[in-house]
Amino acid sequence: MKVEGDAGERRDRRGLPVRSESFTASRPPRWDGQPGGCGIASCISLHGKPVPGDRIARMLTIMGERENGLGAGYACYGLFPHRKDQYCLQFFFDDEEGKHRVEDFLGDRLDVVHDEKVFTRSRSTISPPYPLVWRYFADVPRTREWNGRQDLGEEDYLVELVQHINERVEKAFCISSGKDMAVFKGNGYSYEIADFYDLERYSGTMWLSHSRFPTNSPAWWAGAHPLSLLDWGVCHNGEITSYGVNRKLVEMNGYRCTVLTDTEVVVYLWDLLVRRNRLPVEVAAFVMAPWTFQDIALMPPEQRRLAEWLRITYREAFLNGPFSIIVGRSRPETSLIALADRKKLRPMIVGLSPEEDMAYCASEESSIRIVEPEASTWAPEAGNPFVATVGKGIVRRGTENPFQGVRT
Amino acid sequence: MSELNRQGKYLDHRLPERFVPVIDYELCRVCKRCVNDCSYQALEFKGSKVVPAGGCVACGRCLAVCPAGCIEIRTVPPQFAPHGNWSERSRRAILAQSSSGGVLLSSCGADDEHPSIFDDLLLDAAQVTNPSIDPLREPVETVTFLGRRPGRLEVEEGRVIIREDDTPLIRLDMPLMFGHISLGSISYNAQKALFMAAKELNIVAGSGEGGLHPDFYLYADRICSEVASGRFGIKPQYLKEVAAVEIKIGQGAKPGHGGHLPGEKVTTMISETRMIPRGTDALSPYPHHDIYSIEDLAQLISVLKESTEYRVPVGVKIAAVHNVGAIASGLVRAGADFLTVDGYKGGTGAAPRVIRDHAGLPVEVAIAAADQRLVREGLRNRVTLCAGGGIRSSADMIKALALGADVVMVSTSAMIAMGCRVCQQCHRGLCSWGIATQRDDLCARLDPEVAAQRIVHLFRAWNEELKEVLGAMGIDAVESLVGNRDRLRYRGPNPRIAEVMGVKHIGEGWG
Amino acid sequence: MGPDQRPKGQGTEEVCGKECMTIQGDRAVVDLGLSKVQPMHFTTLNCIMRMAMRQGCKRIELKGVMGQRYIASTASDEGLYITIRGTPGNDLGAFLNGPTIEVFGNAQDMTGNTMNSGRIIIHGNAWDVTGLAARGGRILVRGDTGYRVGIHMKEFGDTRPTLVVGGTAKDYLGEYMAGGTILVLGLDRTAPVVGRSVGAGMHGGRIFVRGTVAPQQLGPAASLFPLTEGDREEVRELMDDFQRSFSLEVDVDPSQFVKVAPSSSRPFSGYYDKTNI
Repeated sequence: MKVEGDAGERRDRRGLPVRSESFTASRPPRWDGQPGGCGIASCISLHGKPVPGDRIARMLTIMGERENGLGAGYACYGLFPHRKDQYCLQFFFDDEEGKHRVEDFLGDRLDVVHDEKVFTRSRSTISPPYPLVWRYFADVPRTREWNGRQDLGEEDYLVELVQHINERVEKAFCISSGKDMAVFKGNGYSYEIADFYDLERYSGTMWLSHSRFPTNSPAWWAGAHPLSLLDWGVCHNGEITSYGVNRKLVEMNGYRCTVLTDTEVVVYLWDLLVRRNRLPVEVAAFVMAPWTFQDIALMPPEQRRLAEWLRITYREAFLNGPFSIIVGRSRPETSLIALADRKKLRPMIVGLSPEEDMAYCASEESSIRIVEPEASTWAPEAGNPFVATVGKGIVRRGTENPFQGVRT
Repeated sequence: MSELNRQGKYLDHRLPERFVPVIDYELCRVCKRCVNDCSYQALEFKGSKVVPAGGCVACGRCLAVCPAGCIEIRTVPPQFAPHGNWSERSRRAILAQSSSGGVLLSSCGADDEHPSIFDDLLLDAAQVTNPSIDPLREPVETVTFLGRRPGRLEVEEGRVIIREDDTPLIRLDMPLMFGHISLGSISYNAQKALFMAAKELNIVAGSGEGGLHPDFYLYADRICSEVASGRFGIKPQYLKEVAAVEIKIGQGAKPGHGGHLPGEKVTTMISETRMIPRGTDALSPYPHHDIYSIEDLAQLISVLKESTEYRVPVGVKIAAVHNVGAIASGLVRAGADFLTVDGYKGGTGAAPRVIRDHAGLPVEVAIAAADQRLVREGLRNRVTLCAGGGIRSSADMIKALALGADVVMVSTSAMIAMGCRVCQQCHRGLCSWGIATQRDDLCARLDPEVAAQRIVHLFRAWNEELKEVLGAMGIDAVESLVGNRDRLRYRGPNPRIAEVMGVKHIGEGWG
Repeated sequence: MGPDQRPKGQGTEEVCGKECMTIQGDRAVVDLGLSKVQPMHFTTLNCIMRMAMRQGCKRIELKGVMGQRYIASTASDEGLYITIRGTPGNDLGAFLNGPTIEVFGNAQDMTGNTMNSGRIIIHGNAWDVTGLAARGGRILVRGDTGYRVGIHMKEFGDTRPTLVVGGTAKDYLGEYMAGGTILVLGLDRTAPVVGRSVGAGMHGGRIFVRGTVAPQQLGPAASLFPLTEGDREEVRELMDDFQRSFSLEVDVDPSQFVKVAPSSSRPFSGYYDKTNI
């Protein structure tokens, strides 16, 4: 519906007004998270070849019925082949002041080797304000100190810095902080976000993407998916009904919730379980979407023992309620993980190109078909992770036994 | 348990009676009409007189049929040792469940004595600074529209463009609708009475989820057909020929719960209307299995709009739950033309007590929360907000309107008008008034014409009372009351509730 | 991303993509590739299809379908035959009431939602919640299906929904089932061809599965039964239809099937306590 004479009034596809109030880096006052639904799409080049950004944009935008213009985003991996060993910290700033604050804070806490403005269009159908988007490539100094501690590992140290900024530094929000990856997201339809960042200028070996159908506004650019910490990127469709319980576990482990959505907690859980607790990916997936005790009782004894102890130990990491998530990481190698809840209450489908060089995962089959008409597609099982890795191909189809290949 | 029984070790933990019909034998003519009419068999003829037989539920049927007026139903006083925490009811529940092992079932709305917030609200009236209006002599309008409104009209070269097709609306003569009570949960005659009354009052009545009997297509232009998780009786006609279609996500009496019409109630007629085999339980799944998320709801709304070619407003009913504001906004964004919020005191034909009495939100708070959220998001002028759940009087209705509802949904009050005494036995299918039953002899007790007239009387009177209050407030059209929380004040024990609802405390002035 | 790719709203007959449709006699061909808006919005496609139906077309051929939803919802012409090339979106044939839809490809979720009558033939896979609450008609899927397939199907009188799956079905097959027949063939598979919680809470209908169903795969209220002669007859009839529909020769011996059926038509009748406390 075209309405003249009311410049700046933004409407969604159904002609409904979208509240003009929009926030970039700063968290909206009284923000209490944004329940809602979504569409997810991702692709990975199994041979490590660059995939241009318009491909993922096509995958995501075809699922227009799954979004309502209040948030979309993309994460690209294998994006900076020439700077792949530095952390790339990408920020939203409300204005120059936010930028100065972050730069003052980073000071000598990080060795910034290069920084640049992230390209964004100055005009867009997205209603302003737009954030200033900036990225810093940095090394973690050999000697470092945080809150009197000098023993923090590189990554733990970086997590502390990022969380400190997001919690304490006004007008700034760090939206991604991993190596060889970056996040492009904001408040708009998927096609608008792709256009705003001109995704066609980027290529990467793996892309994750997400479009939102939140039930409420205001919109917050930094609250859009993918949510990311270090190289973890997570796009999530669904609503975690155990959020309050999951949040306790990550907070006990030092994570600070700044976005206040269930997806944020999912990011921290992956970081906690896989990076810090060193669980194999499929074991972490089992923790998040475990079998019922009734089914566990039918497992062979060793697996059964493992499964029971996982449920007992990581009770607070069990993600209850409907979800399908796609997770990306660039270390130790670029991998795509896709997981649906144990009852498979959200849609998820994966695909493989006929040449077996590209793998895909999305909410709907059409998302895969539009870029890979001859793909073979299948549905991973409920709670059973699909894993694809650059250089290794499909590591798990999501139809295997839960602990296949895991030492018990 | 049965083993214990066989060994003769099983104790009789039968509960004391709750009610006893007491007969004044000096007046009793021994006509036995009470015995014949008591579907709970709580009275019997023994020797030469009518005596209580146990199991009285205080349905009041005997009182109504006794020509001598010689029956009194007494509430049995507490039989257990008094205890401030262990109420009689909590002990009765434990004794019952430790015998049966079952989930306690009940019907009608939550019956706890928790105070109603409606009762803590006082209405405003005009004095000096503006005049009140006499509704008997001057027009006071109560016409209300149900459906989506366009928000603004486009103007092209000075000409106002109207796109009726985009925004189907139904006109109601009063801001009232009958809630969804399915054929199955109530009898054919009871549902017919509701439809007839809706037609005469020119409002809409919900079909409930049990499909629509072929005879009732006569009233289709006043029926809002329901698409619930059981999808009973849904055929193209059921979607296309009615006034509106409503997707039922939840019910105030049992948020998050499904439906269960026991096989005994699935008679030939019910099975034909629901299109299921006779005598099987009619189960409605807890969720819609094609709606696990908001974008899935958008999908069902879209398919219904596609199916009806955008000619019928499509609404969504939810139980009032804690996050009702955000959900309401999501429903509008998902394409709902009207929303219905059903408070936790809303009625039901059967619900587990633990949910009926302990889950959900009072409708007063839910209305205010939804209204405020929709205003904040700029959506309130797009959508019709309906609300109900325990609306007992015109005062409740008026306060619900002032809190933010466009249309107030009533069901139990309409059933009381027909004869229901709220004895909470609907789930047993023995309704002595012929309302919540499928037993032919009981159904025959309800004359739909008479019942319809009584319902019409009640709501015409309520509407007149609404006009009286509007007039007293100096408001001559109901839309100027909707969401006008400034005309309400709170006098209850917890001012925090008033704050949440956006209602000022008594003693606070305007502005 | 040009503005052309912005999602479009509801189409009306004046503006909907007539450039994509050619009608010859009672046959309409819609080539979605010719649409000015790519991909074509579902409202446009459904609007064109309704136009074709109003003009009395008995055959509608769709080419280049890519995720468009709600195709042929409530379509009620028994003689109508719709072919789809590409990937139809969710809710294909919802509330379908007579026509035949044949998809040369995979379908997405909720195919045949609450259908009344008609036939839906999928030459590929059809994913989650296929045949939800179907009350009549037949769905034939050559390949695999997803979770909660055939959930709450019900039958009444002569109308009995049937669903044949050539490949496999996942958990909660036939949950809440109140009637109708599901047949899972598991062609070219050896592993269990159905998932867990088969027939959970079913109180009507029957599910035939080739191979075995372990007791722990059954949901509450579902039990295993041997096939009766009537059951074998029904399986044969469904197999014949399956083979004809997909021009296949399948060597499946009816004795290889097990039957999952309700242990009672009132599975939860003792669940509630109606004491007036």
